Amino acid sequence: MITRQLIEQIEGEASVYFDIKEKKVNFATVTFPHFRGMESILEGKNALDSLVISPRVCGICGHAHLMATVRALEDAYKNAGCEIILSEKAEKIREFTLIMEMIQNHFKWLYIVIIPELAKLTNSILEKKPLKGAYAASLAAKAIAIFGGQWPHSSYMIPGGVTCDPTQIDILQAQNHIDELISFFERESLGIALDKFLSFESCKDFNKEIQSDITLLEESLIVADMNHKGLAYDRFIVMGEHDFTHVAKLKQTRAFGVDSKYVSTVEAYSPQENTYAYNALYKDEYYETGPLARMMSISLPIIKNMHRRYKDSAYSRVMARVFEIGYMLNYAKELLQNIDILQESVVNVADIKKISASGLGIVEAPRGPLLHNIEIKQGIIQNYKIITPTQFNIGSSTIEKPTSVQIAMKGTTKEDALFIFRTFDVCSVCTTH
Amino acid sequence: MHSKQDNKPRLLWLQGVTCNGNTHSFLNLPYLPLLLDKFEVLYYPAMEALHSFEEISACKLSCDVLIFEGAYDPLMKRNGVFMKEMLAHYAATAKHIVAAGTCASFGGMFKEAASHRNSGILFNEEEMNGPLLKHKKRIINLSGCPIHPEWMGYTLSMIANDQTVITDELHRPVELYSNLAHHGCTRNEYFEWKVDTKGFGQKEGCLFYEQGCRAPMTHASCNKILWNEVSSKTRIGTPCFGCTEPDFPRTELFQTKTNMSIPEDVPLGVPKRSYLTMAGIAKTFHIKRLEGKLIDYKTTD
Repeated sequence: MITRQLIEQIEGEASVYFDIKEKKVNFATVTFPHFRGMESILEGKNALDSLVISPRVCGICGHAHLMATVRALEDAYKNAGCEIILSEKAEKIREFTLIMEMIQNHFKWLYIVIIPELAKLTNSILEKKPLKGAYAASLAAKAIAIFGGQWPHSSYMIPGGVTCDPTQIDILQAQNHIDELISFFERESLGIALDKFLSFESCKDFNKEIQSDITLLEESLIVADMNHKGLAYDRFIVMGEHDFTHVAKLKQTRAFGVDSKYVSTVEAYSPQENTYAYNALYKDEYYETGPLARMMSISLPIIKNMHRRYKDSAYSRVMARVFEIGYMLNYAKELLQNIDILQESVVNVADIKKISASGLGIVEAPRGPLLHNIEIKQGIIQNYKIITPTQFNIGSSTIEKPTSVQIAMKGTTKEDALFIFRTFDVCSVCTTH
Repeated sequence: MHSKQDNKPRLLWLQGVTCNGNTHSFLNLPYLPLLLDKFEVLYYPAMEALHSFEEISACKLSCDVLIFEGAYDPLMKRNGVFMKEMLAHYAATAKHIVAAGTCASFGGMFKEAASHRNSGILFNEEEMNGPLLKHKKRIINLSGCPIHPEWMGYTLSMIANDQTVITDELHRPVELYSNLAHHGCTRNEYFEWKVDTKGFGQKEGCLFYEQGCRAPMTHASCNKILWNEVSSKTRIGTPCFGCTEPDFPRTELFQTKTNMSIPEDVPLGVPKRSYLTMAGIAKTFHIKRLEGKLIDYKTTD
């Protein structure tokens, strides 16, 4: 018998249809029923207007959409013979605000979604403290706003650089916000210093003597046997070019090169209800994207250890995301220290009306690779196509060729499956856009 | 968001066609825990509250404060129930109805998703003919893409304190929307003396003449109550796109529309001729200080 479960608080809703056999999930399909048509809203507009429209794809990761758009526009300039070389300052500021958005996302996911859901599943002593996540996220948003003017929905990245021209005082204020956020993470989440956390090389390093949100989370994941559940294909993909990760596809731990031309989409399979989703594949195979993929691609010792023990289980997926908060906080701090405010914020670029070309922009959004493909004719958008990370992770296919999330939920109880579903950090509005 | 106590107004947050930007912007409110404590939150899209969406969509409950985010689409369903029905059910008994963001206020970005049928809950752009017309006296529009968290904070605090929120003809609180986005902009002196910014990425110069800045024509307090407590678009060199107004989103957003080099739109309420006379005079002066860099980073010996 097929039963439907409404999933809420995933930036909109989704339905999961479970086929349960002997109390275990035999198969499940996913439906995303809402659609806005962002791509058709963009078509026919001045290409620069996409810098204002595309962040509105998503309230939680709109900044990643902004960066994918600006990269797509800059790629179009390049393909039109007008290559743009950004100043290091502009590169670093963009990278910084992108990372801060990732951090705000992960804090919300941790405190608003994962801890409460795991508490329900395990009846553990994990405390539900969603407003802690909102507070930490708001600190990260402040740091973005220093350069981007506001968060959500900033449009401060433009072809050639960034619109801001920060002073040293701005940099210091951003540093203060990072320091406050690091101190919050140490005090409220980790129970230990960030440096110590980042020096962990084994899952055994999670100090059982100190009780903190993170040690309790780790313990509860083990109690729920999530170190043996939620395994997908053990295949990962990272596509956005950044200094904090490596572009690669990984099959277990073996890394291979990636070419975006092999990314394709197919209509999602949803026999019970109309869906607007498409599944994203690489070379016709399903991959997992996001923090675990990113951390695997840079071979961090703790993640390698986690993977050796527990593979791509729900445990690894959750803990890699938590680890990425610390890793990114550290990296964001380093980025700020190296911004030379005397460099140009923007380099001159040709008038967009002179550009007729296609461009592809790829960034690592909080949940993984985000691809924006733009086709421009004399500065006007002819075609716009967006592929989002949730399309990679939360595809819905047939039983013969299940997607990452479908494989991960198979064979577990419905309750476990619902938790596993959320370990991928699902974004409904991005999926159907 | 879980405590249930008597006498607190019951708050319900519903969504139409949206990006969730207002939901997330609201979470940035510095005094969020204190504010939420004044309400019994029945449902909030990004956080567990007293009820599940299954329960909310059954339309068996009622609320005192209804917040609606996103454009209204008469054909949209959530959890298989027409949003039209849900909205009508909860609006019928709510004492206050708040449109969160420009989509819910006027149609906004997601009116474009289906422009022939999508609108705000009370206004379709500037026309007051939305689905909640009969409840118009109870509707407060908080336009902005997204809402500024403090604007929602102010409105909900006033409601919790049983104080009246005075609104303008577009149902926006006068305390929040009487200012123009231009007020408090750090580039005001450049505007006064008609000094353009030389492209983007500069501290100096005004964005009104070439970069499309709508701040002098836009009702918003973005430069009075700063975003995320730290900044605003114009302060960091991005033009104001006029996102609180019924005509958002306009087109050619990074470019000032001009006729024979004269801006098509001039500051709100200023007769075009007066503006041009004043601008013409201001432009005849060359203020050296305003033509150079604001900060000289050269070290002195």
